[in-house]
Amino acid sequence: MKKLIAYTLWALLAMTASMNAWAECTHYEMRVDGLACPYCAYGIEKKLSAIDGVQNLDVDLENGLVSVDVSDGVVLSEADMRQLFNDAGFTYRSMNTRAVNHDEATVQ
Amino acid sequence: MKLMSVHGFKIIGRFALTVLMVSPALAHDPVFGLGPHVLFKGGVEIAPQVLSEESQDGRETEAGVELTYGLTGDWAAGIELAYVDKSGNSDNSGFGDIRLFTKYRFWRRDSLGVQQSASLLAKVKFDTNAGGVPPLGSGSTDGMFGLAYGYESRKWYRWASARYRINGENSRGLQRGNKLFIDLVGGIRLKPTAYDEPDTVWMLELNGEYSERSGMKGVSVPNSGGTEWFISPGVFWTLRNFAVKAGVQIPVASDLNGVQLETDYRARLVLEWHL
Repeated sequence: MKKLIAYTLWALLAMTASMNAWAECTHYEMRVDGLACPYCAYGIEKKLSAIDGVQNLDVDLENGLVSVDVSDGVVLSEADMRQLFNDAGFTYRSMNTRAVNHDEATVQ
Repeated sequence: MKLMSVHGFKIIGRFALTVLMVSPALAHDPVFGLGPHVLFKGGVEIAPQVLSEESQDGRETEAGVELTYGLTGDWAAGIELAYVDKSGNSDNSGFGDIRLFTKYRFWRRDSLGVQQSASLLAKVKFDTNAGGVPPLGSGSTDGMFGLAYGYESRKWYRWASARYRINGENSRGLQRGNKLFIDLVGGIRLKPTAYDEPDTVWMLELNGEYSERSGMKGVSVPNSGGTEWFISPGVFWTLRNFAVKAGVQIPVASDLNGVQLETDYRARLVLEWHL
């Protein structure tokens, strides 16, 4: 009986750890126009980094793409992004989102 | 009249040097000319800088700091504080005039990797310098208005701007002639870089300055006013939120009224942080 309880606890522990490892976040890839120089794009980093749950920011100047990973439960709406990029001095065009697991999100 | 001209000449000669920081630093704007850049909303720009001008009358160096705040994504305002050192026939140094400025970007067109924009600049210089001889400022409150257009891409840059400075009358009755600044600037990024890499843009400016004749107590000063043209190579180097901007302004053509001292060169070095 003791062994059964121990196995059950061990299994629960393993499942919890596994769930954490596979906790989902959302990858946002946003098309932004006006990205000509890296120095000017710093305002984007500053503004996106100020949002709780945003991590792994990347700015692809050549293709006009800004991407971030956002923790589960946090949503970046199109209206908010339009305003955010306008405040940073650029023009938001569109976004693509996809769910990624925690490991995938942090290893970039 | 001759005495007034000579007196006026000396005064004008000295005040002509007091034109140094005529355009805010603001990001990828040219070193000497005006560009359309503003600052992201809530952003702070700190820009310590040194500007030096050498003429036959001596050398003037301004070591200053410019603080700018982004009121919106298209509207910035700031203040410039400077410490001035003058050397030549006589020396003087101390705090220079305080300047306040605001810039509004009224037009912006963005496409992939390209931004075109146009801005208006308004600037006021107050007569707040430490005093002494030679004077560390113009001795008057002066205003400036400017209009700037800029095209920026991943490789090419170009700017065009015009500024008009309205000079006030100082306590000795000298009314310096108003001044028009015209700037045409080209820039190139030889190697496109990623967001987190050091980035360099090379610039070449053509700066024109036309000054109206000055007046002393209602009498025109013959040895004042005229036109000067400068060629100004410069460089803009950045890493994330830090920038270094530097350039030298070399006179290439001059048509000054009467007998006036010509500028030998001007040099400007700006460090910039965006916070």
